[in-house]
Amino acid sequence: MNMDYILVEGDLTRIKNFVGTIEEKYTITISKPPSTCLTMIRAHDSVECQEFYLGEALTTETEVIIDDMAGSGICLGDEPERAYCIAVIDALMQLNDDCYPLIRDFLTEEGKKIREKELKEQSQTLKTKVDFKLMEEA
Amino acid sequence: MGYVAVKGGSEAINNAKLLVEFYRLRDNTPAVTIDQLRSQFRLAIDKIMGEGSFYTPEYAALALKQVEGDVLEAAFIMRAYRATLSRKYYSEIVSTEDMFVQRRISSSFRDIPGGQILGPTRDYTLRMLDTSLADEKDEDIRTFLREFKKSAGDVSLNEIKSFSKVIDILRAQGLLKGVGNNEDTRVLDVTREAIKFPVPRSARLQMLARAETGGLMALGYSSMRGHGSVHPTVGELRVGLVEVKVKSSSGKVRYIGKIKVTEAEMISKAATKRGKSTPYYAIGYGLCFGQNETKAICMGILDRAMRIPGNDSPANDQEFVLYHTEGIEAMGFTNHLKLPHYVTFQSGLNNLRNAVKRQHGQGEQEELKTTVEQISDDLI
Repeated sequence: MNMDYILVEGDLTRIKNFVGTIEEKYTITISKPPSTCLTMIRAHDSVECQEFYLGEALTTETEVIIDDMAGSGICLGDEPERAYCIAVIDALMQLNDDCYPLIRDFLTEEGKKIREKELKEQSQTLKTKVDFKLMEEA
Repeated sequence: MGYVAVKGGSEAINNAKLLVEFYRLRDNTPAVTIDQLRSQFRLAIDKIMGEGSFYTPEYAALALKQVEGDVLEAAFIMRAYRATLSRKYYSEIVSTEDMFVQRRISSSFRDIPGGQILGPTRDYTLRMLDTSLADEKDEDIRTFLREFKKSAGDVSLNEIKSFSKVIDILRAQGLLKGVGNNEDTRVLDVTREAIKFPVPRSARLQMLARAETGGLMALGYSSMRGHGSVHPTVGELRVGLVEVKVKSSSGKVRYIGKIKVTEAEMISKAATKRGKSTPYYAIGYGLCFGQNETKAICMGILDRAMRIPGNDSPANDQEFVLYHTEGIEAMGFTNHLKLPHYVTFQSGLNNLRNAVKRQHGQGEQEELKTTVEQISDDLI
């Protein structure tokens, strides 16, 4: 599970709290304030692989600079706070300084929570697995 | 035909705006929250996003609230809002094979690898009015959720399961191929380029994906009933979440979230000449935003129908299908009939009156001619 996946799928309150604890140590410049834009979703059919455009999705993007290191945050939806947190952690991961182990541990913990939630949801889904029998077999 | 603008009426228009707001709120009921709509009206939200061609559950819920539940009007608002934003990214091609599956069924094969998963569906429930919902309380919702979570028991899975495609069974046996038409395979974006018929398949699929569900169903149904001869079987219908990734400005591929989609692979036999070529199956492909199974199935039927040579049925005719299933345009055109057409109608009315006068004049002259002839005959 990569950083982006965890920060996009993770609980926003926990992510904001975590970023809040580390951002005090740095001077963060928001080089591109969070704004919404569009992402065109590309798809293709499953036999002939004919590519086509499925439609667009609302996206939020932002960029920050921390100690000359640029970080960018992009996520679906109107999510300025999440995009900002992603950008900050993106920059800090690249800086690879004292905070790196803290971030890594946070991401590992958050990743576990996301995986647990997904496994629970899929387990519930798999309970609807059906075994249809033909009439003569019944 | 030219149109002539009208002016005035601002006060009445503003009052009408206030009045419609009053009708929305007149019963003084608690405000419906966006979260409630998004969560408890999820299928309406999915339809708005599909027909609005704009994936944004929160804004779709807002639009639904604004227009008092008119799904197509909400989709119209979504299209208009979308036009105010700039497109900054193109995603990588989404993989439905790696979908986080919430539902997948096949009506072609009973035993499919990974099994048939009904998922969240009302397919096998009776369509009876549930009167108990009339008295649903917040506590009832909390109790249900608590019990449901408890019933999940221990999670036996160690990792998220993905499911291979059902059509792979046919493909492995060499029974499934592309339709085999010589078609334009360019990737066209109908939001940026005007279309000319025949349009590339990419444009057809894009237009079907943003088409109106009812329109698609009407034409898909016409084909199944014999007007177009495509009566396919659901090879696989799957609903779930697919990952969206984009390339950032630095060139790095970034994960940006998941979107819910419905995919339908509709199997039907390809037309081959008896004894001259080996018969095979081909698919019609349906994919749309959200959980909208009717739409995905009909999209698959019409994708296939439009690839049948000849325009002998409405469902086979690209122009007929694509222009008449474009719900927003169809609704816009239909509703423009309510706008003032006074000048054009007056012009038509004048023409009609003149025609009637001419007809009457002719009639009088003919009557006079007959009378004169009769008198002449009498005199002779």
